[in-house]
Amino acid sequence: MQIETQLLYMSDKIVLAIMIFIIMFGMGASLTYNDFRAIGRHSRGVFIGFISQFGFMPLLALGLSYVLHLTPSMAIALILIGCLPGGTTSNIFAYFSRGSVALSVAMTTASTLVAIVMMPLLLEIYASGYVHQISASMQAEGAQGEFVIPLGDIVSSLVLVLVPVGMGIYLRKKSPPWAKTVEDTAGFLAIIVILYLLATALIRHNELFLSTPWELYAATILVGLIGILFGYWVARLFRLPPIFQRAISLETGIQNTPVAFAIILLSFSDPIQSQMLWLAILYSTFIVAVSSVVTLYYRKIGKFDWEIYSNTIVHNRLFGDAYETRYPKGFLPKRIDGDPSQGTLTRPAKQKS
Amino acid sequence: MEKVNPAQNVADLYRISAERFEAMPAFATRRKTLNWYPISFRDLYEQGLDLATGLIDMGVEAREHIALFSDNRFEWILADYGVQLCGAADVPRGREITDEEIIYIINHAEVRVAFVENEKLQNKICRLREKLPQLREIILLDPNGSCQSGVRALLDLVSFGKQLRTDGDKRAEKRIESIKKDDLFTLIYTSGTTGAPKGVMLTHANMISQMEAIPVPISCTDRVLSILPVWHIFERVFEMYTIYSGSCTYYSSVRTLAEDIRHVQPTFMGSAPRLWEGMHKRIMEGIKIAHPVRRALFHIAYFLGNQYNDSMYYLWGNKLKTKKEPLWTRLLLMPTHALRWLIVMPWYGFFNAVVLENVRLSTGGSLKATVSGGGALPPEIDRFFNTIGIPVLEGYGLTETSPVVAVRTEKQLIIGTIGPTVPNTEVRIVDMNTNEVLYPNSKYPDKGRGFKGELFVRGPQVMKGYYRQPELTEKVLQDGWLRTGDLAMMTFNNCLKILGRSKSTIVLSNGENLEPEPLELRLSQSHLIDHCMIIGQDKKFIGALIVPNIDGLREKGVKSDSLSELVKNKEAHRLINDDIREKISTNNGFRNYEHIRDFRLLANQFEIGVELTDLHKMKRHVITDKYQDVIHEIYSDETVNAK
Repeated sequence: MQIETQLLYMSDKIVLAIMIFIIMFGMGASLTYNDFRAIGRHSRGVFIGFISQFGFMPLLALGLSYVLHLTPSMAIALILIGCLPGGTTSNIFAYFSRGSVALSVAMTTASTLVAIVMMPLLLEIYASGYVHQISASMQAEGAQGEFVIPLGDIVSSLVLVLVPVGMGIYLRKKSPPWAKTVEDTAGFLAIIVILYLLATALIRHNELFLSTPWELYAATILVGLIGILFGYWVARLFRLPPIFQRAISLETGIQNTPVAFAIILLSFSDPIQSQMLWLAILYSTFIVAVSSVVTLYYRKIGKFDWEIYSNTIVHNRLFGDAYETRYPKGFLPKRIDGDPSQGTLTRPAKQKS
Repeated sequence: MEKVNPAQNVADLYRISAERFEAMPAFATRRKTLNWYPISFRDLYEQGLDLATGLIDMGVEAREHIALFSDNRFEWILADYGVQLCGAADVPRGREITDEEIIYIINHAEVRVAFVENEKLQNKICRLREKLPQLREIILLDPNGSCQSGVRALLDLVSFGKQLRTDGDKRAEKRIESIKKDDLFTLIYTSGTTGAPKGVMLTHANMISQMEAIPVPISCTDRVLSILPVWHIFERVFEMYTIYSGSCTYYSSVRTLAEDIRHVQPTFMGSAPRLWEGMHKRIMEGIKIAHPVRRALFHIAYFLGNQYNDSMYYLWGNKLKTKKEPLWTRLLLMPTHALRWLIVMPWYGFFNAVVLENVRLSTGGSLKATVSGGGALPPEIDRFFNTIGIPVLEGYGLTETSPVVAVRTEKQLIIGTIGPTVPNTEVRIVDMNTNEVLYPNSKYPDKGRGFKGELFVRGPQVMKGYYRQPELTEKVLQDGWLRTGDLAMMTFNNCLKILGRSKSTIVLSNGENLEPEPLELRLSQSHLIDHCMIIGQDKKFIGALIVPNIDGLREKGVKSDSLSELVKNKEAHRLINDDIREKISTNNGFRNYEHIRDFRLLANQFEIGVELTDLHKMKRHVITDKYQDVIHEIYSDETVNAK
């Protein structure tokens, strides 16, 4: 598939840039100093999340590109998506799937910080094969020079994206009510942006939806879905409690797409830029749908665990940390019976102080 | 886990719950903000047995009536356990009980033993002792209070009973076995409307039948916040239900409610309309001072929620249906609503998650549902909470029906109704003038759905009768059918809708009952007033609709030829206002809640055959219907439009 004209006009790009700024500002506004400390507190969960996020996701993206025979530029875009850190959207989904929001926030924060090093590194490792393919085809067409992934630009766009995040953190510290407003507005804008991009694509390039091969649809849906499933099973394998399983699962599959848009806009040029943007738009759309379905499912299967968990939390909050909730025999299923983590999850923080 | 508790009586229910839920917390009392004291099902039952043994040793007989004058606190439930486990029945009332009530209730119920909450109440009852010839023992609940001579402390009695039990006393266990289903478990005196209070006799079978009536399944993982007075049957049935289900009741108070909701994160609660009005006001105030962007987001979310719910109610047949819906409108509306539902869904999904969830956190964020009762829920408030995603299940009942007759369920959450009747309960809608049964009556189309009439109830929850008042009992209870005194209709989706009162008794939103006739009689003695009708059902205060007397006002110097001119006359208002204040005041023996806070002059006379019967009695429902705008105006700054 080739995108003949530019996918986005200059005006769209400016709007998109402003949106990215606001969204990242909103992400920062949702963070507090405590969230950074939480990384240490949930180190085990964060580490497992790190493995599935930076270890598995790029690999999955590469595998899907290979199996589905994506064009090199699409493959690079998919791998870029795979290498992204987590975004605030995952925190909202974690909340509604009755997962640990604290862990989700900690993972988002940690992965965003680590991304500056990890993303260039991972792209270098996984995308180099496709880069050579592009260079080869460019040279075959008689073009001069080589195609390279502009790693320097990627790092600088990442840094650029972190600036509004920093500003958001500062705002949160100065004025929590304002920060809350920004946070909500940003969440709302994120949806608007995706719809706006979809709508413009639909209006200007309505042939695009038909000419997009099914492999691309499959790749953009599967990268999120398989990521979510993988995160869930890895967390289960490591015997993490259910609320952590759900948080890690969603954190793995849901990537911070505004960062992807920023990198694509700032580091790549057409015609590759338009193709990459199109893939990012598709991923952003499908991941919301996929995560919504998964969240509804998690809510259902996690209902009982969550009630037990929150009951224990309230008991310890009101009756003291030493209080032990003893359910009647046979009330708890074997799965969580005798699992101390059901009750003590939030307590390590207090034990430290 | 097995759900059905096979208990046959309340004492048995306490025993089974203790065996089943053992160490789970049954009740929790607040000491400080984050310092609550739990007691387990097992401990509560054991202490209850100790107390029961102490009471038996003191000479309490089976089926004896024991007064329990206290508001919500742990000792209340302990005292209740003690009373039930020794086979007696309690006579509950709050700590604000008046002298007259104490004297009447204790003497009428032949009370020999009374629990009192605190020192103040103890002193009050000791002062009245001469007028209470049968009263032998007083037991003080408050562990921090000091007892007057001759008064026992609750804890002393418990430890005394405990000693007896360690020595092998099994009298309490024997008592439990001898309880019959038809024995009273409580005798509740309802606040006096006409003359003296009435003692409603409720049996063990009444209460046990109610356990199936509450439509929200709860278990050991649930937390129930208690805020309404437990001596009202409405709150009592919920506490009983939490014991039955193994949930924990957390005692809160009006003062600490907002804080406690945040900390306890209740999953279920019984509630009154006033609570939701207050909550609604708080939420709306919060939104008013919120940032404009957030305010706008809320309004968008609320709008979408309304659209979404409206279509969903229609599609699932949960829209209020007071008339039969023709097939063609159904065929037309069905796809329209389906389309709207589909279009709004994704947007609603987002706004629900991001905006409405934050609003829901004001009720702790864990609420599965709440049953509202004890008065009619204003429709705007009802719609508001159901739209933002807090399912408020409105129920209906009387003390005489222990109390639940009907309640909405999650499946039949029809706003504007009180839901379907609970299992094993029959209802009738009876014409007030002809006494003809309008529903169910196969003579009429749809068995008489949609007809308005007085509601009669028959079922396992209906009381045994009024204690020692057979004539009164016969008036309201015949062949098992209880006359509720409320006007109702059966909707086309089989839910009851309450439409007002058939009796003239006004129940204010704070639960006070009053008879309008004495007030009206007093006011119509005024030369300035021709007719007047007192209003205020389900409102915070009473008001009056007044037809002024033109001649009387002219004597006072107000020159006016027609009623419609008088309506605008300030002097007339002032004169009548002064007259009302003088006639109905505390000095004349009227209670505070009987004071008329607002009134409106009417522009038309009451006419015989329209507003008045041939015997010149007012047709209250006709007047209420005709002047509903005026009434609405009087109460307009209550609730929703509060400043």
